[in-house]
Amino acid sequence: MANNEVLIVDYGMGNLWSVASAIKFLGKTPVVTSDLSVISTSETLILPGVGSFRRAMDTIRKQSIDKAIFDSLENPNTKLLGICLGMQLLGASSTEDGPTAGLGLVQNEVVRLSKSETSPIKIPHVGFNKVQMPNDSKLFEQIPIDASFYFVHSYAMQILNDISIYTTTTYGHQFVAAIESGQVFGTQFHPEKSQKNGLKVLENFLR
Amino acid sequence: MLTKRLIFTLLYDNGSFMLSRNFRLQKIGDLNWLEDNYGFSNVGYQIDELIAIDVSRQNRDSAKFCEILGKLTRNCFAPITAGGGIKTLEHARELLRSGADKLVVNSALHDQPDLVENLASEFGRQCVVASVDTQKIDNSYRVFKHNGSVDTAYSLDQFLLRCAGLPIGEIYLTSIDRDGTGNGLDFEMLDHVSHVKDLPLIVKGGIGNADHIVAGLADNRVDAVATANLLNFIGDGLARARELSISGGIKLPKF
Repeated sequence: MANNEVLIVDYGMGNLWSVASAIKFLGKTPVVTSDLSVISTSETLILPGVGSFRRAMDTIRKQSIDKAIFDSLENPNTKLLGICLGMQLLGASSTEDGPTAGLGLVQNEVVRLSKSETSPIKIPHVGFNKVQMPNDSKLFEQIPIDASFYFVHSYAMQILNDISIYTTTTYGHQFVAAIESGQVFGTQFHPEKSQKNGLKVLENFLR
Repeated sequence: MLTKRLIFTLLYDNGSFMLSRNFRLQKIGDLNWLEDNYGFSNVGYQIDELIAIDVSRQNRDSAKFCEILGKLTRNCFAPITAGGGIKTLEHARELLRSGADKLVVNSALHDQPDLVENLASEFGRQCVVASVDTQKIDNSYRVFKHNGSVDTAYSLDQFLLRCAGLPIGEIYLTSIDRDGTGNGLDFEMLDHVSHVKDLPLIVKGGIGNADHIVAGLADNRVDAVATANLLNFIGDGLARARELSISGGIKLPKF
């Protein structure tokens, strides 16, 4: 694929349109495809997603998209960004609609949001929320500390004590708002729906 | 801390954007008018969310609405909810392909509960926003369907109890009495929402100025307020309402 192209993995779930228009706005060329040979040779991939984890993994496995993604990551220059459900799919498993294994690119598990004694919450978590960003984050470089991002989800990825760089949000409990682990990146929020700060996160990923 | 939301609702009817008063529609302008006076497709337009509803009363042309939605949201990097007369999964998919992130359903809650189930299993329940229109009749709040034209005989409490059993992500509650009056939100209506207290609540109907927005957002039962008042917030009216809310202690995102 040409240098300027950003591959958006199309497995039939998720708002590809918004992600594609954000990529276009940032001066890159979005390529929306489910073609395995294109996915496996791409150097910049985005895995979007909205809906059920189980259903998404079923489709991804059935179409062998998982293998194409693994193949693309064999190239050390390749980077992958999962958005919303797309980030959750990078994890080890989810409890949504019964335990389901994820792509396992990171080892985190995905569980339903839950209220804590001090923090009664409505589910889904819908709206703009602030995040706690670590200093060594690439995704949040040059983003103001009080920036808010748009979340809409009922399940969330748990934080592990490992080498990944975690940006977190607390809603009920603390969970992964964004993860950076080598070639693999993910955001629980929608950067393509988070106004200027969201576009900056996408720009940082593409850099 | 999750912030509150200030939402703008666009009512579309056959090529035009409409002002609604007690659910009677008046034509205001087309997409160009909207761009000239608001500019939602300018990056950085200060809005937490946009809801666009096709309220065409006859000859609904959903392909045309999707085309307008696509143009409207091209450079609008904020959440978009769309709907109006969604009767099939394919229609819903078309809206999502045209820039919508979430779907708003109203009459389907009454007439096609199967469709609501299917939308949720296809796109996730967070994608389904339940629109409920209520009007006070003889001192009790009743729920109406089909653009407010049909009395369902449900009380607001009863109907929201029913909604709580459906796979939906949010409640979008409109007061037909206050709609388009500019007299402020109906807070008494909020005494009947306890059955859906675990779902995010968007309240609409009656907002005429920024103070009404601040009052709505300050209510702890309310997660978001929406206004469809096309004339009162022209230019930077919504941005100024945001500033007034923030200076009044309301938590809204800083863009």
